[in-house]
Amino acid sequence: MNDSPLLAVDGLSVHIGSRTLLHELSFALRPGEALTLLGESGAGKSLLAQAVMGNLPDALQARGSVLLDGQRSRAQDHAARRKRWGRDLALLPQEPAQALDPLVRLAPQWHETHQLVRGIDPAAARAATHAGLEAAGLAHAGERYPWQLSGGMAQRAAAGIAMAGGARILLADEPTKGLDAAWCDSTVRLMQQVQHAGGCVVVITHDLRVAQALGGRVMVLRQGEVVEQGDTEAVLRAPAHAFTRALIAADPARWPVRAAPPAGAPLVEARNLRKGFGAQKIFDGLALQVRAGERLAVQGPSGTGKSTLGNLLLGLLPPDAGTVQRAAGLAPTAFQKLYQDPVASFAPQISLEQSLRDAAGRHGAAWPEVEQRLQRLGVHGELLRRRPAGVSGGELQRIALVRVLTARPALLFADEPTSRLDPVTQRQGMEVLLDAMEESGAALLLVTHDEDIARSIGGSTLRLRPAV
Amino acid sequence: MSAALHLPLLLERQQRQRSQRRRIGLSLLAAVFLFAFVGPLLLTADPAFQTLPDSLAAPGARYWLGADVLGRDVLARLAHAARLSIGLALLAALTAAVPGVLLGVTASWRGGRTERSLVMLADAVMSVPGLLLVLLFSALAPGQHWALYVGLSLSLWVEYFRVSRAASRPVLAGDAVQASRLLGLGPIYVLRRHLLPALAPVLGTLLAFSAAQAVLALAALGISGVGLQPPTAELGLMMIEFMPHYEEAPWLIAAPVGVLMTLVLGMMLLTGDGEIA
Repeated sequence: MNDSPLLAVDGLSVHIGSRTLLHELSFALRPGEALTLLGESGAGKSLLAQAVMGNLPDALQARGSVLLDGQRSRAQDHAARRKRWGRDLALLPQEPAQALDPLVRLAPQWHETHQLVRGIDPAAARAATHAGLEAAGLAHAGERYPWQLSGGMAQRAAAGIAMAGGARILLADEPTKGLDAAWCDSTVRLMQQVQHAGGCVVVITHDLRVAQALGGRVMVLRQGEVVEQGDTEAVLRAPAHAFTRALIAADPARWPVRAAPPAGAPLVEARNLRKGFGAQKIFDGLALQVRAGERLAVQGPSGTGKSTLGNLLLGLLPPDAGTVQRAAGLAPTAFQKLYQDPVASFAPQISLEQSLRDAAGRHGAAWPEVEQRLQRLGVHGELLRRRPAGVSGGELQRIALVRVLTARPALLFADEPTSRLDPVTQRQGMEVLLDAMEESGAALLLVTHDEDIARSIGGSTLRLRPAV
Repeated sequence: MSAALHLPLLLERQQRQRSQRRRIGLSLLAAVFLFAFVGPLLLTADPAFQTLPDSLAAPGARYWLGADVLGRDVLARLAHAARLSIGLALLAALTAAVPGVLLGVTASWRGGRTERSLVMLADAVMSVPGLLLVLLFSALAPGQHWALYVGLSLSLWVEYFRVSRAASRPVLAGDAVQASRLLGLGPIYVLRRHLLPALAPVLGTLLAFSAAQAVLALAALGISGVGLQPPTAELGLMMIEFMPHYEEAPWLIAAPVGVLMTLVLGMMLLTGDGEIA
């Protein structure tokens, strides 16, 4: 193996006007090496990937230079690298299903990449397509449209097509976000294949397991600056910077398991529940009981009705068959919900304070009490004057929590409440949520794709399986 | 992670351009409004007073915009015509907005049969060209202001209905409304805190568009001779009165056309930012 770097970045920085979004950084990757970028949301990880690709919006200026397989270009010279997209440089998209052309069957999409990007003749492209489909375990799916593929299949297909042009440098922006364990593994294997074939991988992730599996080096970014970098194993074993330590401690696998309080009387009971959308059946014959103070995690692959189950229990959706029975004597507002996207759960045009005051007023909660709770959760009073879009996801989720607590819920249904947050914020968010549940004695029904989070709440887990 | 590429400066620039458009639109409108509502008070000339010897007098110190074939002061007539057009158009647009919005919100809220029948009614009104509807009403009472006004309102409400039905559907189906309902906040709350704030900007745009549409419809009716009748000063009527003299006195026809264009352009600039940007 030669020693010259395949991808090298020298003194790269990204600016908007006079503001620096990404401070000067450099790295070099030789064939077979990998670099993992860790850091909180908004730390500039995606900017780095976009700058390397040459895909920055026009308003941003990049400085420094990028060396691609022996060819050096200025970071600002996007056109120089754009020519090499697909051939030398590939991006593994975050939402694979959206990266495929929905109107073209899978095999032709794959085929045209071979033929047009790699430039081989049609017969050879056909053979290469066939081999690619075979290798990705998609031999039977070549004639399907992208919307007929499952999430995992679409991801393998998008990755296969991205690499079909023969690129040896792979950039991946949070390739495992929102995926359950099986799909994470398959994505990691794909990136390892690139490494073994003499390519190099730059991956942006929150998932430390991905970093460990790829080995190589890690770079920790915070507010556009590198706070720590080095050998992945060494950094993860003995992080030097406080921020890296916090990031590692925030990995759900390291969260302590909470002790759930003893469960009380049944709050809601579902019997023989059936629900489908159109011709698609989601579940049938489901029985479930939630007791006061209980902690229940709901897990399962996407599309198995995790959110739907919660909505049925809350009475937001009618079941196709079966019954949902609430315990007698519960207030109509005793069941509350926390949403995956907190921004969408507030009226966008009015201030957060107004939303909170309205909810508090409706339930006779005194405003000083609400303010006190906000303070305990670390929400500054000044934030309340803003509208929902002007507050970060982590803070807004806390405000949403305070809002539902004004209704003194007996059951809180939390639908992936922290999945959009970076690990540090995620951990704080879950702690705050569980503390609030303990304090208020409410039961928690938590939907999560993360096994470690499900385990950490210390209750039981309900697994949903795809209906046949 | 598109959030990282969220560009406040880029948005700021767009916002600046928009507010500039808005300022231009606002000043155009302000100029026409000033002319229409203050002009008639300052101009002592009677718009209907004829001085036959001054027929087709050129613009000058006595007649700033000249005189028409009957020797009437064009400036005074123009001011009265502008006031009439603006007043009638705004009134028609506003009275169309209230039932239009209420029916639109009701349709998307109730869904089912209510929605289907309201949509059918709107489609039926849509199938008649707006101008024809106004014509039908003005035929009932030729030359009467109220007939034109009723006709205009009846043709304009459909747009409010369609827009507010479409715009309130995602709001009503969204998490925010669901959360409010779970919290026990009732329908009036949803209307006040969720629907109206979401609809307001769209309705503002629509109000200006439909007012512009009404101004143009009034002028078109005046030109075709079925709208308001002489000697009323009205923009369309004035155009048709000046048409035969465009060779001897071309400045005459320019005046009402100029006012009409400034008025409609002002309304478009004031609100049309979303369509173009």
